[in-house]
Amino acid sequence: MEVISMKDIRKSYHMGENTLEVLKGISLTVNEGEFLAVLGPSGSGKSTLMNVIGCMDGFDSGEYILSGNAVHDMDDGELTDIRNRYIGFIFQRYHLIPKYNVLRNVMMPLLLRGASSSDAEEAAREKLDRLGMSDRIYHKPNELSGGQQQRVAIARALVGGPAILLADEPTGALDSVTGKEVLKLFCELNEEGNTIVMITHDMNVASNAKRIIRITDGELTD
Amino acid sequence: MRISELLRMVFINIMSNKSKCALTSLGIVVGSATIVLVIGIGQGGKLDVAEQFKNLNAGAVEVSVGQSADTMMENMMGGAPFGGMPNGSQNRPGGQGSPSGMGSQRQSSGGQSRGGRSGGMGFQGGRSSAVKLTEDDVSDIISVVPNIESISIVADGTAAVDGGELEEETEFTVAGVMSDYCDITNLSVQYGSFFTEDDDLDRSKVCVLGYKTAQNIFGAAYLAVGEFISVEGKNYEVIGVLSSMGSVLSGISPDEAVYIPYSTAAKYIFGSNISPKITAVAGDVSYVEDVVADIQTVLTQNYPNAVFTVTDAGSEMQAAQRSADTLQTLLIAVASIVFIVGGIGIMNVLFVTVKERTAEIGLLKALGSKRTVILMEFLLEAAMIALFGGVIGVGAGYALIPVVELTGTRVVAVSAAGILSLGFALITGTVFGFYPAYKASRLTPIEALNEN
Repeated sequence: MEVISMKDIRKSYHMGENTLEVLKGISLTVNEGEFLAVLGPSGSGKSTLMNVIGCMDGFDSGEYILSGNAVHDMDDGELTDIRNRYIGFIFQRYHLIPKYNVLRNVMMPLLLRGASSSDAEEAAREKLDRLGMSDRIYHKPNELSGGQQQRVAIARALVGGPAILLADEPTGALDSVTGKEVLKLFCELNEEGNTIVMITHDMNVASNAKRIIRITDGELTD
Repeated sequence: MRISELLRMVFINIMSNKSKCALTSLGIVVGSATIVLVIGIGQGGKLDVAEQFKNLNAGAVEVSVGQSADTMMENMMGGAPFGGMPNGSQNRPGGQGSPSGMGSQRQSSGGQSRGGRSGGMGFQGGRSSAVKLTEDDVSDIISVVPNIESISIVADGTAAVDGGELEEETEFTVAGVMSDYCDITNLSVQYGSFFTEDDDLDRSKVCVLGYKTAQNIFGAAYLAVGEFISVEGKNYEVIGVLSSMGSVLSGISPDEAVYIPYSTAAKYIFGSNISPKITAVAGDVSYVEDVVADIQTVLTQNYPNAVFTVTDAGSEMQAAQRSADTLQTLLIAVASIVFIVGGIGIMNVLFVTVKERTAEIGLLKALGSKRTVILMEFLLEAAMIALFGGVIGVGAGYALIPVVELTGTRVVAVSAAGILSLGFALITGTVFGFYPAYKASRLTPIEALNEN
């Protein structure tokens, strides 16, 4: 079943009189259960593509269907809902909220959805348990190591039961040992049935994925 | 997002930034405290006014012989009448012709039929109040002016009093008044009774003592009635003692005075140096204007050259009330400015906070925070900070009331002021918090996430 279906996505940035076309007609299909790496150097448009896939940024033309939802027709409020329900973000720098403890950080997507505190806590504890963080739930993020923080971020991405996990350089801020652990975790999560899209510039990282596509100058190449 | 979760989020935000929030709320603290004190001071001022006038009937009118600029000028010019009064000066004894053309041209406008009454008093060179009101004027007013409920002539001076437990002759304020005076000034008699019309007519040697006077002379107020005191060597029977009043009426403190029928006092006690006043009460407040005009007509007929100052209690009360109101308005304006400054403080800090928390806002948006949630988060934060400041400020305001009272200003703790302050604080926080909150809600997730 197709989770992501993109057809001829185009996007340009206008800077004064110059127009920079960042995405030059991207077409991409991701099926349920896939582990896809998007590999590209900086400036290739991979960040823009990630923002478009993550429904955080619009595009000029093309068609994007995410789990049966026509994203290209949506306004800001609807996109917010889509992000909350279908996308699990994993960022390079984790982006945990420093003043919240681990548990509350993981609960946030469900709380924002309108879940009760007890339901959100139950789901969050379950995911933290899965990621081996259950003995750290009342810690603040700055009391954790980078690898632990990324695990918390992954728990947060998983808690809402998203259609895809969207990871942007997930090992970029980690040392190589911890980075390998995280990638191993990704493989396990994929084995468990999660669809993963990972953006990276590092071939060694990308090689963990089952399928790799390259992006160069705003165009996909296999 | 559930409201309870939103509030918890706001609570965590505030608690993780306690000192900053406390500093932010400082302006609101000061503003709220100011409002509480300002309303308290304003209310105190109003009560002061009310108390000052509590013995005055709203319909009360007081007439005294005025010293106008003209008569002062006259003194300086060696007694030559200036003749500036609208009713002319042709009857003025000792008038030597006016040096002022302006004044003399107005003479014809007077033309009163009955004049020269003041002639009997003589013109005392250099003294301005050549005209002295008398009981006859009172009779004239009673016979001519309608709608007067009660009227009395009043004069006061000091006299040597002896008797009771006094060891030696002591000076007391002696007020000569008529029987109506008690009603006019709302004096109440605690022991015995006030004098009657017969006492006025008979020049009875009776007196009514103020509460403190009675205490001073007889040791206790209730011992005074029926006793005799000596005033300027003549014996007077004490027929009443007034209740303690605590206020001052046209320069006489009732607590410390000795009241004697005017006719008696005029004959035996007062010399020529008194300046009697006439006080009257109109039957209804609406008659006051007519009564004032009528009394002026009568007195102008009796004393064509004199200037009378007529003050009615109603307009004096209004004036005092107005000035108290003006004071309060002014103070509230000051408090409002403090609030605005406090609000701007909140706005500034919130702007900085939004800047600092841009990444957090971006993340929340990425995770699915609607604009309204972000808006409400920051708005509630501002409102909470302001409310917190308001509560502290109101507490501080009430706590400072005794301190302000040390300066002699009367302050009344008004509970409505506290509620008003909290309301103002909340509104200020919300209004000034809105713009930064709105800015935060409009951030796009990528821009916000990429901020650092």
